[in-house]
Amino acid sequence: MNRIQITIRRDTFDLQMDTSFADEFIIISGENGAGKTTVLRCLAGLEQPQGQIVVMGKVWLDSSAEFVLSPGRRRAGCVWTDAALLPWLNVEKNILLGVKKIDEHWLTRLAEQLEITVLMQRKPQMLSTGEAQRVALARAICRKPAALLLDEPFSAQAPAIRVRLRETLKSIQAELKIPVVMVSHDSEDANVLGQQHWRMREGKLLTEILYTGIRQEMQA
Amino acid sequence: MLEALMISLQLALVTTAILLLLALPLAYLLTFKSFKGRTVLEVIIALPLVLPPTVLGYYVLMMIAPDSTTGRIWQSVFDSSLAFSFSGMVFASVLYSLPFAVQPMQQALRAIPHSWLEMAQTQGLNLKQTLLDVMLPAAKDGVLVAAALSFAHTMGEFGVVLMVGGSIPGETKVASIALFEMVEMQQQSEAWMLALILLAVSFVMLSVVYTINRQSLNMGVGK
Repeated sequence: MNRIQITIRRDTFDLQMDTSFADEFIIISGENGAGKTTVLRCLAGLEQPQGQIVVMGKVWLDSSAEFVLSPGRRRAGCVWTDAALLPWLNVEKNILLGVKKIDEHWLTRLAEQLEITVLMQRKPQMLSTGEAQRVALARAICRKPAALLLDEPFSAQAPAIRVRLRETLKSIQAELKIPVVMVSHDSEDANVLGQQHWRMREGKLLTEILYTGIRQEMQA
Repeated sequence: MLEALMISLQLALVTTAILLLLALPLAYLLTFKSFKGRTVLEVIIALPLVLPPTVLGYYVLMMIAPDSTTGRIWQSVFDSSLAFSFSGMVFASVLYSLPFAVQPMQQALRAIPHSWLEMAQTQGLNLKQTLLDVMLPAAKDGVLVAAALSFAHTMGEFGVVLMVGGSIPGETKVASIALFEMVEMQQQSEAWMLALILLAVSFVMLSVVYTINRQSLNMGVGK
């Protein structure tokens, strides 16, 4: 089980979160300014909240013991709304940033699944926003991370490719058996991917919906 | 004339090389770290921008005089005087051109998008990798501008090198001082030629700076 119990004070709101989650797909939704991205940033280690975060049995944060694991050591794959690709590196080198041991087979498969194989030698300036977003996804997944933190990773994708990307992410999550926390405004993401759905408002977790039980019921 | 030009060129090259090594860590510290005395350090680095060169030259001379601590240590290690020597001029030039190297680098480091640095953190890049793979390529233009400005500024030094170097022919007499002496001795044609060369060097170097700046702006590098 993973656990996030954090509070962070902001000018506009106080964020409070206290919940547990399995190594499954979690969709976070909510209005603008609800604190969705802040939750992801806290998980990534880019914000320093008070509280405790434990992921895959590893303590990432324990403010009572003044312990903060650095973002790099958390090994979380992150995709933010800004793809943050380095313009002087080609797509392949961008994806391999921070990868210590290159698994060619994994890289090839990932490129195929994310439909970026033909883009591998191109510079980021030659990519569309949607392509850049998929490259950022590949970079986040390539390291075989301990968790995936995705901030609207399909926002720039055309509807047809979105459908395929959902399936790809679903299979990757099942293969790596890691928690994936994804911010999305698209109800279809929650329907197809969400095993847990966190709805947030003004920095608080409003409702927590567990889909697993319902799906199992429906299948039966 | 050629001799003085060669000394100027050597001084500018050595000073620029030292400044590039020195200015990058300084710019990094001033941009990304907050520490006690940061403002004081920033002011000290920027001082040569407003200080009369003779004032800086005077203090450097005091600092490296044969009876000073630095002068004595230098004498015992290298068996030569630091004052009125090429090395002394290099020391003074590095101080004098420091803001011209640090400030462009600081600007370039500041312009690196925050998202790139956060990406480096979450992808698990260590400090060395972040510096070499992210910061330095992103700040490349700033480093080039720093090099061009340091070089041009050192080529154009007068007051500082006169105070510290003492205008010894073949050793510390640089082109700008040679020009002054030529005018004093009414060697008009030589003075005309040397002035033109110094003007051309400055013009070329500034053209390089402006071209780099325009390219960075057009390409949106660091934006």
